[in-house]
Amino acid sequence: MGSFKYGVSTYSYVNDYGSIMTLDDAFDHIADTGATGIEILGEGQVEGYPNPSSAWLDRWFGLLDRYKLEPTNMCSWVDMRLTLSRNLTIEEGAAELEQDLRLAHQLGFKFLRPKFGVMSHDLIPEANWEGYVERNLDLAHKLGIVICPEIHAPTPIRHQVVDGYIQFIERTGTKNFGLMIDTGIFQDRPLIHWGSHQITDEMRAHMDFLNGIRVNPEELLDIAQYVVFVQAKFHDIDEHLEDQNIPWKPVISALKRAGYSGYLSSEYEGLRAPWRAIDQVRRQQVLLRKLEREYDQGMFA
Amino acid sequence: MLEHQLIQSTGFRNFGPVGAREGFAVRIRIPNYHGTRLSQLDGFDVTVDGEYFDHEVNSFGIRDEVYTIAEMREETTARWGLLEWGEILVRKPGGLAPGVHKIEVLARIRYSYFPPDMHIFPMREERFATICLA
Repeated sequence: MGSFKYGVSTYSYVNDYGSIMTLDDAFDHIADTGATGIEILGEGQVEGYPNPSSAWLDRWFGLLDRYKLEPTNMCSWVDMRLTLSRNLTIEEGAAELEQDLRLAHQLGFKFLRPKFGVMSHDLIPEANWEGYVERNLDLAHKLGIVICPEIHAPTPIRHQVVDGYIQFIERTGTKNFGLMIDTGIFQDRPLIHWGSHQITDEMRAHMDFLNGIRVNPEELLDIAQYVVFVQAKFHDIDEHLEDQNIPWKPVISALKRAGYSGYLSSEYEGLRAPWRAIDQVRRQQVLLRKLEREYDQGMFA
Repeated sequence: MLEHQLIQSTGFRNFGPVGAREGFAVRIRIPNYHGTRLSQLDGFDVTVDGEYFDHEVNSFGIRDEVYTIAEMREETTARWGLLEWGEILVRKPGGLAPGVHKIEVLARIRYSYFPPDMHIFPMREERFATICLA
């Protein structure tokens, strides 16, 4: 039986980064959790994006070496609505993706998550996404990178968005495109905070997904062969290591039975306040490792 | 490093010649969790002490460039990084008096990955900030 790999996304620290946390600090916090992987936002942590200076590159590789962290996934965006008056053409969108693939490769990443434009409230991506990706499959193969859009609430697993991605994989036979699962889809209890605010009844009425879309973790087994990366989204873990929103036991169990042995990359998205994420990430890393150990020891199935 | 909040303390200032100020500047960090090209911003509404200045008339400065709203909407090359500040330039002859002002910014940021009807997403913050020099 394979083991999970543990990473942390710098997205977790969005309310610390740049005001109370430097890139060097982020490496320190991540490495100290025992994680071995770092996930970043390309146009976030990469200063001078999309063309970082050689000084910045030296710093990046120096930090990887010093903290013994492996680059996991780089997040990117394909801004469909380029201006108010026009959208990207297929060629332009493909060029955006190519630029991010080359940058991700330069920095040592193995996965690239592009965020495509969407056309609806259930996040159906623009039709051109296939053209963007297909034009880059050979390059991704050459660079050893898997392109992986995320399955993110309010989109569940059994949905035409996922079906479309799977059909693309089946049609092209590619190994360089797969699914990223954001564990927010398994949220089964309401969030208390959204951003830096307490959620009001009115917000709940308009944004039902705040209450959780409650995807059954067993559905992971149906798509396991296409899942290449997991963003371990969470919001609030208390001092008894109880997650208040995500049912980790059935999620870990399903990932284990599905044979998943890739990264669980911590992605804190709870109350947006400085100094909160650092320890929340530590709690999640401990919780996930504890559950993996207990599963392996047969303490739950 | 930047201050945590959107509206920065430092950089809240009058601009134009002393004695004949043309307006005031509000320094902000990017109202987003990642950098973007400038065309992904759709301007900033500013209210100071109850006086409203619309995003269609306010300009935006970053590094050594100043953009009108029309220029910013079409600027697909220049970008705004996560660790950089920019400033909203508000025309107000005479500027603001030294002292504490209540200031509100509503940043209009565009997200292609939000549903079409809400793709221009408002991010609002307010605070007290201090003009030091007349």
